Parts: sequence; structure tokens; C-alpha cells
Amino acid sequence: MNDLTLLREAGPEAPPLSPAARSAARAALLAEIEGPVPRRRPSRRFVVRTGVAVVAVAAAWTAAVVIAAPDGPGTPATSVTLVDFQTPTFPLSLDPAPVGMRPAFSGDGESAGFAEYDSADGAGRFTVGVHEDVPDGWEDAFTHAEVTGRSEIGVDGADADLVRGTREVYCDDGLTVCERERFAELLWERREDQWVWLTGEGRYSSTSELVAVAESLVDRPQRATLTAELAPAGWSVQFYKMGRVLTLVNDAYEQQTITVHVPLPEDVSPLAQVRGELMGPVGPQLDVTVQGRPAALVRVDNGPRDRGWFLQAQFEDGTTFTLQVPDAFTQEQVLEFAERVTHHP
Amino acid sequence: MTTSPIAAGPPAAAHRSADPPAGPPRLRALPDALPGDAELIARSVDDPAEFAPLFDRHAATVHRYLGRRVGELADDLLGEVFLVAFRRRAAYRPEHVEVRPWLLGIATNVVHGHRRSEQRRYRALARAAAEPERHGEDPGEAADRLDAQALRGPLAAALAGLKPRDRDALLLLAWGQLGYEEIAAVLDVPVGTVRSRLHRARRQTRAALGDVSPFAPISEEDDR
Repeated sequence: MNDLTLLREAGPEAPPLSPAARSAARAALLAEIEGPVPRRRPSRRFVVRTGVAVVAVAAAWTAAVVIAAPDGPGTPATSVTLVDFQTPTFPLSLDPAPVGMRPAFSGDGESAGFAEYDSADGAGRFTVGVHEDVPDGWEDAFTHAEVTGRSEIGVDGADADLVRGTREVYCDDGLTVCERERFAELLWERREDQWVWLTGEGRYSSTSELVAVAESLVDRPQRATLTAELAPAGWSVQFYKMGRVLTLVNDAYEQQTITVHVPLPEDVSPLAQVRGELMGPVGPQLDVTVQGRPAALVRVDNGPRDRGWFLQAQFEDGTTFTLQVPDAFTQEQVLEFAERVTHHP
Repeated sequence: MTTSPIAAGPPAAAHRSADPPAGPPRLRALPDALPGDAELIARSVDDPAEFAPLFDRHAATVHRYLGRRVGELADDLLGEVFLVAFRRRAAYRPEHVEVRPWLLGIATNVVHGHRRSEQRRYRALARAAAEPERHGEDPGEAADRLDAQALRGPLAAALAGLKPRDRDALLLLAWGQLGYEEIAAVLDVPVGTVRSRLHRARRQTRAALGDVSPFAPISEEDDR
């Protein structure tokens, strides 16, 4: 017996689902399905965040699936050659930069992605999305909002669609409505093949504030929050998310990936305990130095398609990051790669 | 991009007559096959009523998962899970994760709002398991029950002592029967983080149980 079997067989049992409870839950769902539509809809904040999360989950899932796939096209690399690498940039900046707001970027290797700006005091927030064409979902985004106004306004001489209204904001449980929030959204073709969808909430639900943001956009690429300045030749960015995750993929064999992760502080293990927190460690924990700080390197083996290295290190500012790379890397290459991972929160 | 297979709905009737099939079974899609889960969600974006069959297909699974975590409260939370799923259906992407894991991920988030209830339940179960039971029937059955009895209390206490994030990963694996990659998808964390959380949770669980239960070492492939 293993612990999972034990949990299944001797863990707490569920009470039976009574016909009454089932009927009540089903009736609640049917009432929601049949009831008046414009109530309790996710806010734009949620929609945007979900959209961003979906990108990341998609990539994470893709990576996960291909790792688990029994056979994919190509063959895995058994060795790599590290070359200079440039992580995709976000094509726009704000000039002047908003005081006290730093962007977090999300996207994948093929799209320009999103830049999300939050004010430290929570009083305002806006998201800049860049698209090659009119983004899918622009109209759907307002289906269930209470739209208080639609108009066409000028942004730097271009015609922009402006939609203003309110949406309900859900609490963390995803069910209870905590508040109604005002929003304003702008969509315009900033230049050929570049559509910008700007969403503002809080202070940025004001038309003047949002237009000011729109008109401060300039063609100045911004580097991603988390970047790799080295990568194996023939690898590319699979996705990046909110400055916390960066995944590179072997273009010739998608089962092979590299993941750089900046964990939340509560998920950081003390350096001395890194090996004990891992599954499938092979050999001892090696004490190494990365970016001038102590780091821990462990070989891991979780099956034929998941052998490699786990590194926990810190950036110069003390922020911890982890690195998972396949065993095509040598120990020296893991450290060489880690030295060139950068973080710009 | 690799896509995951779409969860199949309930099996359609293979034969409509009472006669046995004339030849070997052929693997082909039945013309009257019911739409898959993902297809129902896609349809429900325009026609919300299409969402209702998903409740019929998955309510029991979701309730059982909830029930093991929060007991009788599962009756109330079952409806919440499907309401949240319904409201978020437009964001569902079948290529990311199948519907059953998606629903269990939502259930996990709903349980978060009732963390204290969950912990109280585990502690209550641990206390109850420590009390002797009286049974008067078959000695063999009584011996089996005593074995299970010996494990239930410490196991419930161990669950109560886990960090919530670690417990989520462990119970999605053990009770939800999700794979590591599915857990990563529904919790929105890298699969390496899932491994770390599972390793920590399982190590703590083993430590809490001490020598009560004989564990066999296992591999990731054996975990489903």
C-alpha cells in the first residue's frame, strides 16, 4: 500500500449525495442559466486576468502534455550549445512613465502580449494589450456589463472606440460579489497591424485618464520582467507570465523545456532543505555560487522524459528563482545559464 | 500545440436491438454519440442551456471530492462549483485541461473559502477515530476494520496539519485522480511546483503516520 492508496481507502469518506441536495444544486444552476443575464458576471478585471492566465495555463499545459506524451516528433537533444538569446520584448512603453507603477508582462513567443500596470495603493489599474488585428472578444467583453456609454473619440488623431460602464467584482471565492467597479476600455488601430486594447479600472476608468495613458504610448520596447540572456541553440520562448515564469522549448523536440520560476516567498524553501523538497533527487545537493550568492544544485530523475537539474539560486537583490533544465545540460552549462537569467521587477 | 483528448460523455448505447453483434466490434464514432464535455461548454457560450448536462455528468464526482474534504458542507458547495464553472465557461479552453479536472480545480478554490471547516472536519475525524468502537459481528471483518481504524485517525490528523497548498495538490492527486500536469494546470503553477508540494505533503503525511502504515515506494507513473 502506498500513501495515495491509503488516502483513497482510509481517508475521510464523503457523505452520499442525496437526491434533495442534488436537486437543489441543479435547480440553482438552472436558475442561473435561465435567469436574467446581466447579473453576477465576472468583471473585466477577471476577464483580463483570466485571459492572461489562460495564456500561461495553455503553455503550462502544453508543456505538461508534451512532457507526458509517449512519442513526439523529433528526438530529444542529448547536449546543448548555449548561445546569446533575446527574450521577446513588449513593443510599447509609456512616456511619461506612470509614477509608482511597474508593468508585469505576459505572453508567448509569437504575440506581443499584455502589460499590466497596478498602482501600489490599489486605486487604479490598466492593462495594455497589443494585437495584430481586431482582437477576438472585443464585443463579447461587454455583453454582460452594464454599459453606460459608447462613443468614438480621438486618440493621437486616430478614431478609437470607447466603452464605459460597470461590472461586478467577485471576491476570492469566485462567487460572492464584493463590489461594482467602473471601467473604461479603448480599442484603436494605433498603426498598421497594431491594435491596442486598453482597459482601465479605478482611477483609470475616467476617460481623460485613460486617453492620457493611450496618448502616452510610444514605440519603445520594454524587456520582459524575467529574461534569459542565454539559451540553447535552436530553442525559443514558449511563454512567459507576469514576471514569474519563463519557459523555453526545444523547437526540434517540444518535450524538452527549460523553466525559470520566481516562486512566491511562501513557496521558497531554505537553501539547506532544497534536496529534501524535491522528487527524484539523484546524488547530493551541490553547493554552488550563482550571481555571487550561494545556490543549491541537484540532479533529479523522475523518469525517462524528466531527467535533469534543479537549481535554486538568488538574484542580486535576494529574490529567489529556480531553474529546471533537462539533462542535456552539463553541470557547468546549468550554472552558465543561471548566471545570465535576469529579473527586473 | 498538443491537445489533450476531450473527455467523453456518457457512453451512447452501442446496440439498440437485443441481438448480439454480427461481427467483431468496430471502432468508429457512433452517429448518435452524445456531444463531449468540451463541445457542450463551447455550445453553452451561445446557448447557456447546453451547460446543464455537464452537471448531470459530473455532479457525483465533484460532490464526492468536496465531501471528502468538507463533509456535509459539500451539499451547499456543489451548487457553487457549477455556478462558478457556468460563469467562467467562456474562459474554458479544451486544449488546456479536460472538463473534469477543470471542475475539480474550481472545487478546490471553492473549498478555500471554507478552509476552517475543512480543518475542523479532519480534526473531528481524528478525535472520533481515537474512540473505541463496539462491533459484535464477524471477527475477520472486525480485524479489517481495526486496521482501517488505526489509520483513519492519524491520516485525518495528518491532513489537518498540511499547508493548504500542499493539501490541495495531494488531494487532487489522491481523490481527484488528476495527473501532475493536470494539477499544475488547474492550480496555475509550474509542474515542478506541484512536485515540490506533493513531495512535501507526502513526506509530512508519512511522518505523521509514523509506523502505523507500511508504505511502498512509488513512482510518478504509478500515481494515478
